[in-house]
Amino acid sequence: MPEALAPVLSIGSGSAYANDRLEPAAAMADSGRVSYMGFDCLAERTMALAHVRRRQDPSTGQDERIGALVPLLRGYLSRGGKVVGNFGAANPDAAYEEFAAHLRKVGLLGVRIGVIRGDDVHDLVTRLDCALPELGTTVGALGDRIVSANAYIGALPIVDCLREDAQIVLGGRLADPSLFVGPICHELGWDLTDWDRVGHATMVGHLLECGVHSTGGNFEDPPYRRVPDPHNLGYPLADVEDGSVVVTKLPGTGGAVDELTMKTQLYYEIHDPARYLTPDVTADFTGVTIEDLGDNRVRLSGARGREWPSHLKVLVGVDQGWKAVGEMSYGGPGCVDRARRAEEIVRARLDAFGSDIDDLRVDLQGVGSLFGDRLVGGEPTEVRLRLAVRTPNMEAARAAVHEVELLYFGPAGGGGATGSVVPALGVTPAYVPREQVRLETEVLES
Amino acid sequence: MKLREMAYSRSGDKGDVSNICVFVYDQADYPTLVEQLTADVVREHFGALVQGNVVRYELPNVHGLNFVLDKALGGGVSMTLRVDPHGKAFQSLILDIDLPGDQR
Repeated sequence: MPEALAPVLSIGSGSAYANDRLEPAAAMADSGRVSYMGFDCLAERTMALAHVRRRQDPSTGQDERIGALVPLLRGYLSRGGKVVGNFGAANPDAAYEEFAAHLRKVGLLGVRIGVIRGDDVHDLVTRLDCALPELGTTVGALGDRIVSANAYIGALPIVDCLREDAQIVLGGRLADPSLFVGPICHELGWDLTDWDRVGHATMVGHLLECGVHSTGGNFEDPPYRRVPDPHNLGYPLADVEDGSVVVTKLPGTGGAVDELTMKTQLYYEIHDPARYLTPDVTADFTGVTIEDLGDNRVRLSGARGREWPSHLKVLVGVDQGWKAVGEMSYGGPGCVDRARRAEEIVRARLDAFGSDIDDLRVDLQGVGSLFGDRLVGGEPTEVRLRLAVRTPNMEAARAAVHEVELLYFGPAGGGGATGSVVPALGVTPAYVPREQVRLETEVLES
Repeated sequence: MKLREMAYSRSGDKGDVSNICVFVYDQADYPTLVEQLTADVVREHFGALVQGNVVRYELPNVHGLNFVLDKALGGGVSMTLRVDPHGKAFQSLILDIDLPGDQR
């Protein structure tokens, strides 16, 4: 008698950040290769920026690609494919409204959509006057400068929606790996307190959440490391089973899924590898083994887990006023000296704003803008001066850009001035007891 | 020899903390990596870019090391005025470290 085949879930990545490419997501959807796709749409700043949009127009604050994405998923959804994503950003209900409207537009009526609410903990962190350890202050002390506060939330509400037959699950600050942990645990029947299995699912989520980071993106360093067709990287997908996973990518896409690309992604943005904290688990990646199966297939096993953290991490958005950046290029003999002269001029001109300028720096790109001055031997043939200012005073921000532009008039030979003023939104962590974050789910239809 | 000849790397950010993981191409080089690429060597190489501690975790299962650099991103991605707020280029800076190499 043949042995029963172990259950396998095939799940793919659809997005790694708010502005990620849609074509690889469409390719994944049309491949017929996966039954779930996870879309990570957020990074640390994205959430606060979404809150700023919502403040300007209360009907917005959701991911900005929904209208373009839904038609690309039409075939996939009509075949029963499922989607989980933090498209909600600052406004999960607006994400639902937009998904539903576009689904109806492409003729998909009655699609069940789970909406997860409650990650917005602005009121809670205000009531608790949470500490902001990286700033050395508290929520209360910053008063109305607090723009947003969203708790990283886990797989539990995702599973709740899937149990109610949601085909699309939308939330706000769902943690990146949880977008995959939810479907994996739901489909393979794993309890969300089965820590080792949740640790395994979290490893899979971590390998998929960053999109092309697993398939050859952010990886090349010629001549040491190259991947085929880096202009056409595919998103990764995984065949998940109990105890192991095979990660791969679609045939015909560029890049590479091999031992090297898997290692760099597995420990990307991990601190203590025995204590990777997510809302779902304290994951332990110290025992992971990686087996390159060839042909862009890699098997990983050995991730473990312990109980989830008692506190949820919250990202608190703080209004920091304005960030102004101005740039000007200098070239030829003496270019560095002329750029330094330009620096003296702009610093002197901006002195008038005094303590209104919270932070100011000048970098010479080509000399030491990334790592401090490490120039070895000789002078570069060109440098680009970059002035950056953070200030609550819009007038000071505009002046910073204007002063760089005025460098056209001296010192000699400045060219190519550019400038921008954007809102300066800080994002800083806080922690709240998990039981105080009240989540609710509702399954609606298109 | 430059670390780049022996190893590859990736840097990431969380708040004001940067982590850089480093892996050898040839596992025969792993003992050399562990012996020579210490937290102090990395601390020294990064200089004033890092204002906090540098902690090293060994990853013997994948022949790698993970460095966690505290107060390394000028206040954090969203706060800093640096050109590279995420420290994406740190993965290249670490590979420029000179190691004595295999002394056997």
